[in-house]
Amino acid sequence: MTSMCEATTRVLPGAAVIELSGEVDGSAADVLTEAYQSAVQGGGADPGTVVLDFAAVDYINSTGIALIVSVLARARAERRKVVACGLSPHYREIFDITRLSDFIELFPDLDRAVSQLTGPAALKAAR
Amino acid sequence: MTQVTRPTPRRLDAFTLPSQPGNERLALARVAKSVAGLDLPEARLERLKTAVAEATMNAIEHGNQNRAEIPVEVEVTQAGNVIVVAITDQGGEANPEPGNPEEPDLLRKLDGGQSPRGWGLFLIRNMVDAMDVTINGQRHTISLTMRTGGAAHDEHV
Repeated sequence: MTSMCEATTRVLPGAAVIELSGEVDGSAADVLTEAYQSAVQGGGADPGTVVLDFAAVDYINSTGIALIVSVLARARAERRKVVACGLSPHYREIFDITRLSDFIELFPDLDRAVSQLTGPAALKAAR
Repeated sequence: MTQVTRPTPRRLDAFTLPSQPGNERLALARVAKSVAGLDLPEARLERLKTAVAEATMNAIEHGNQNRAEIPVEVEVTQAGNVIVVAITDQGGEANPEPGNPEEPDLLRKLDGGQSPRGWGLFLIRNMVDAMDVTINGQRHTISLTMRTGGAAHDEHV
């Protein structure tokens, strides 16, 4: 099945950002895996934090949740922190009931995630 | 003795879909359209859409084994302030009874003790006011019940 998910990665001082768009479902496995790989090996210092930006995502299903769990598991094994931003209220609720939000700090938007994690300089670079 | 009058169910929509991955999106869009105008609050509509998508995925994948020629049947009814979406596949007993699969445990999933998958029925149960399963021969039906007013799961908001 063709993936309806796209990912763009950016490396900021101390954090790598994966901006997702479209649908996060089972077909997004390759997109998400490659994006994570690109984010953590994107040059410069090894990022200690990976930011998943869901602002342009309009659908996440149970297989998409499984992919996010896999990314989180890999990041934990590599001693990286994962945070998320841009989730709609509905998907924030799903992150709560699945307990993903116990392990992934949630921010309303990318600006607030980046400024809190890496400071104003990185926020400027993120824009 | 008090006599309780139950409202007669009214069919809002009924349709079938080929059992092809991705068609759960068609089911959720059509169910959302069929309940538009019933004053279902936005948060509850989103939960119903997620439950419909997950139940339809389950029917396509586990019930009908992704065989496009076997349709998934969807029926939407309303009785008073209760909406019921019934999703039927031809998996019979083969489509596992909800409650039997292992409850997802995120910590175990993160530590590799449980597959990262297995969230579908968990999500359905947490999204709607009630989920019932009936098996009649090969017909396996999941009925999702959602009241249009506030109910048990509103504390998640």
